[in-house]
Amino acid sequence: MSFRRKLLIVFALTVFLSVACVAILVQWVTRNAFEKEENQRAAALVTQFQREFTKRGDDVARRVEAIAASDSVMRMAQALNGTSSDFAEYFDLARALAENHQLDFLEILDVRGTIVSSAQWPAKFGYPDPAFESLAPSTQEPFLKLEDLQDSTALGFFAVRVVRAGDRAVYVVGGRKLDKNFLSALDLPADTRALLYQNRGDRFSPDLLLDPGGNDPNPPRPREKLAPLVEAVRKYDQEISGIVDWSSDRADEEVFHAIPLRGVGKDRPLLGILLIGNSRRSYVELKRRIRDAALLAGGGGIVLAILLSSWASARVTRPVVELARAAQDVASGNWNTSVEVEGHDEVAQLADAFNRMTSELLTQKERLVQTERVAAWRELARRLAHELKNPLFPLQLTVENLVRAKSQNPEMFEEIFRESSETLLAEISNLKGIINRFSEFSKMPQPHLQRVQVNEIVEAVSRLFQAQFQARGSHAIVCRMQLDQHLKPIAADPELLHRALSNLVLNAMDAMPNGGTLTLRTREKDGKVAIEVSDTGSGLTPEECARIFTPYYTSKQHGTGLGLAIVQSVVSDHGGRISVQSEPGKGTTFVIELPSNLDAVPATAPSKQVTAGNVSV
Amino acid sequence: MKRFVFHCLAVSSLTLATLAHAETRPEYGGTLRLTMHAVPSTLDPADSRVPDSFARRSLTSLIFDTLVVVDDAGRTKPGLAESWQAAKGNQRWQFRLRHGVRFHDGTPLTGEIVAASLRFANPGWSVRGDADSVTIDSEASQPELPVEVALPRNAIAKRDGQEKLSGTGPFRILDWQPGKKLTLAAEEDCWRGRPFLDGIEVEMGRSFHDQATALEVGRADLIEVAPEQSHHFSPAKGRLASSQPVELIVLVFARDSSSPDDKLLRSALGLSVERGSIQSVLLQGAGQAAGGLLPTWISGYGFVFSSQADLQKARQLRDQVQTARLWTLGYDGSDPLARVLVERIALNAKDARLSLVPTAVGLTDLRLLRIPLACADPWIALENVAAQTDLPRAQNKWSSAEELFSAEKAALATDRVIPLFHLPVFYAATSSLKNWTLRNNGSLELSNAWLGAAK
Repeated sequence: MSFRRKLLIVFALTVFLSVACVAILVQWVTRNAFEKEENQRAAALVTQFQREFTKRGDDVARRVEAIAASDSVMRMAQALNGTSSDFAEYFDLARALAENHQLDFLEILDVRGTIVSSAQWPAKFGYPDPAFESLAPSTQEPFLKLEDLQDSTALGFFAVRVVRAGDRAVYVVGGRKLDKNFLSALDLPADTRALLYQNRGDRFSPDLLLDPGGNDPNPPRPREKLAPLVEAVRKYDQEISGIVDWSSDRADEEVFHAIPLRGVGKDRPLLGILLIGNSRRSYVELKRRIRDAALLAGGGGIVLAILLSSWASARVTRPVVELARAAQDVASGNWNTSVEVEGHDEVAQLADAFNRMTSELLTQKERLVQTERVAAWRELARRLAHELKNPLFPLQLTVENLVRAKSQNPEMFEEIFRESSETLLAEISNLKGIINRFSEFSKMPQPHLQRVQVNEIVEAVSRLFQAQFQARGSHAIVCRMQLDQHLKPIAADPELLHRALSNLVLNAMDAMPNGGTLTLRTREKDGKVAIEVSDTGSGLTPEECARIFTPYYTSKQHGTGLGLAIVQSVVSDHGGRISVQSEPGKGTTFVIELPSNLDAVPATAPSKQVTAGNVSV
Repeated sequence: MKRFVFHCLAVSSLTLATLAHAETRPEYGGTLRLTMHAVPSTLDPADSRVPDSFARRSLTSLIFDTLVVVDDAGRTKPGLAESWQAAKGNQRWQFRLRHGVRFHDGTPLTGEIVAASLRFANPGWSVRGDADSVTIDSEASQPELPVEVALPRNAIAKRDGQEKLSGTGPFRILDWQPGKKLTLAAEEDCWRGRPFLDGIEVEMGRSFHDQATALEVGRADLIEVAPEQSHHFSPAKGRLASSQPVELIVLVFARDSSSPDDKLLRSALGLSVERGSIQSVLLQGAGQAAGGLLPTWISGYGFVFSSQADLQKARQLRDQVQTARLWTLGYDGSDPLARVLVERIALNAKDARLSLVPTAVGLTDLRLLRIPLACADPWIALENVAAQTDLPRAQNKWSSAEELFSAEKAALATDRVIPLFHLPVFYAATSSLKNWTLRNNGSLELSNAWLGAAK
């Protein structure tokens, strides 16, 4: 995966995760805030309702008090004689008083609890009030009561007062409906509503639910959905809260707080249930808005991340890519590479440092090359001096011997001259050989590539030296062949390759003066062909390994030190690599890795045969 | 000194006598303001789509005339017909028309127009008219036909198209807003003579309470008074007049009794109703408890039918039935008296362990009806009640009182009806309105009324 794509993913993930975390956090905070506010609102509404309840009850009590104190009622209390004429006389009194004092209910009862006059049910004169027993004269506080009407039952606030006139008394029972008007009069916030369920019957009935809002068709609110809440209050006789979902849309949910309303009497019956509902619409819509905003922000963030990463890549990855490319160039040997430096940030500093590094490397390389060149020249001069000195010294001795013999032993001069001539010619030949080897190294030919089977060349080299392996006698060298028979052909100059392998074999033989095992191995390695020449000689130290390919360096007592340099030159010309693995006392293995490079083979490349006679050192 | 005192006395006596005389002398002029709670949608006296009411009768008598008039003593008197005679055993009646009578649009009164009007009101009648008489033929003997043609629904109207009506009464229609307001103007050339009043403005659809207030504050001169409010009417507010009990309040079952158990339950219901306490409390003493369909003043025997409640017997009858189904009791929701009556009846029924649920809407098992009695003629009145309650009609009409009693008894024996009360109608007027009366049929007689001070 490219750096640019990684950057994009990182940016996008960062943005997305950030937005998601923020959204979740905001939602959590919002939910908590909403719930807290909801609870506070519900508590405030309950308090408000109780205040309104008390206020309404006190108002009723005041009105009933006023009626009880009125002259008409007092006169009535004095005049009642307990006969049916009372009903005719005062039939309309309760209605008129209720109208004047704005009460929904008013009944005037005689001392036995018989209705003398009733505003809410005029026809009920002469009948006993069924609730008279529970209306104890001592009941001074307003109370809730279910009032039976002709065709319904109504819940209301009531108060009762006794009017005494001597030994006669009448009860004034007045009240106001706890109905939609009362609920509408509550000062409720916009998303809140109050309903009243009149607790009658054994089971929930939608008709008993008072809803000042009426039937809002959107969304439809079937009253039956409140049944579980109502039944729970009836069962447990305590305040209960619950969520009612009116439709599949969560925004239509309402949280209801159900508060039981009890009447008077020793059993304090459950007369009604006040339901205060808070719409969750604002909360759900807020949640949705947060979610939508989060999605929008996330989407926008990802787009931004894409744009940012594109920009970043232009600013960041491009120099990095250039740096990487330049590093690859350096790795492939092209040290004369620089990177354009823009800006002053770390990337620019890195680019600058890279440029300085490559420049330094180049300088060091040149210096090293020069130094090595100088060292190589010095070594060459030393080796030349050493090589030339050897044959020159006998030459000098021989000439001095001749001069002495001429002067001192003229009779032996002929013989001495003959012997000295032979020595002179041998040493001059030796000198010529040395000069020829130097000349040959300087004139290493370029390889003529052709398709070759490496195994064939290895076998040819082995055959070439087979006789020399045996000629050691008791110190014979055993040659082992471990050739990969599935080796693919490569492009190579068979002659040069043969020469290089021969040099390695000769070196191996020189490393095993007392015999040993020479192993020739071929294998495929990373798409290349590897040729290994291993000996069981004395091995090399790490320092020797480091310098062994330097021209004119040798660990041997004699020799020009050019053999491995020639091998390295051949391998290098084939685009390959040579390495050495050795430890003192454990033998040495030279590994040549050659690429396939078959594309470099010319179409009409002449083929060279490798024979056992092509040996060069 | 004595002379001076004598002169003062003389002058004051003369003044008082003049004033007293002036007070009793009718005055022309003024517009009477009349209110009523009914909302008639038509003034056509013969339109059967609109129920009969005392208000409608009153309006009809102001605009239209009948061939015959029945006085409070029950005697027939000439109206648009000067004379009439029967033939063929009371199967043919000929009415000779009064001359010189014109409709409000100027058209002379003719037999053809009269015949057309009577045929419109009575599609089953065979009526023909010529220039100055009308002849009515029937298959059965109709000894009381003159009384029948005196009914308000048989008032003579000239009908030109659907809405155009013309009468011969003392007042003609000036402006008519159906159900809201009617403005009448005195007919200058009325055959009875120009009325004293210049006009009458009738406001309709006013509640009894609003009417009382209007009278009190001087916005109305003549109002209706609910029977249950008549007891509270103060003479200071004006003059209260009431009629004979001309209204029957009755429970009517929708169908005949379906089984003996049903008959028992219906009887139990009849016995459970406490007419006495209802009459004294809800009706505030107005009217009479009724056991029969006709009041005593019409039939002469109304007291024979018992109106006493007997809760114990009602329960006994009820207990003879295993299961008593719930009955629905219908009433006119716009009538506050009806509402409170049905509520009380339901309570009484509950005492007898009967289930009665009042309702103002829909079809019901039984209904509370307020039926204006047609007239003082018992046969016509009974016929009218039978027609409105779907009771069997009497067979031998206009025969003896015993036949009448039998007919009524037979009607009651069907258990289709439970008579409750007979109520009078009440009107109240300001003291400035003079010479107004109530007829026996509950309608107002205003043709000779006059306002004491010009308005």
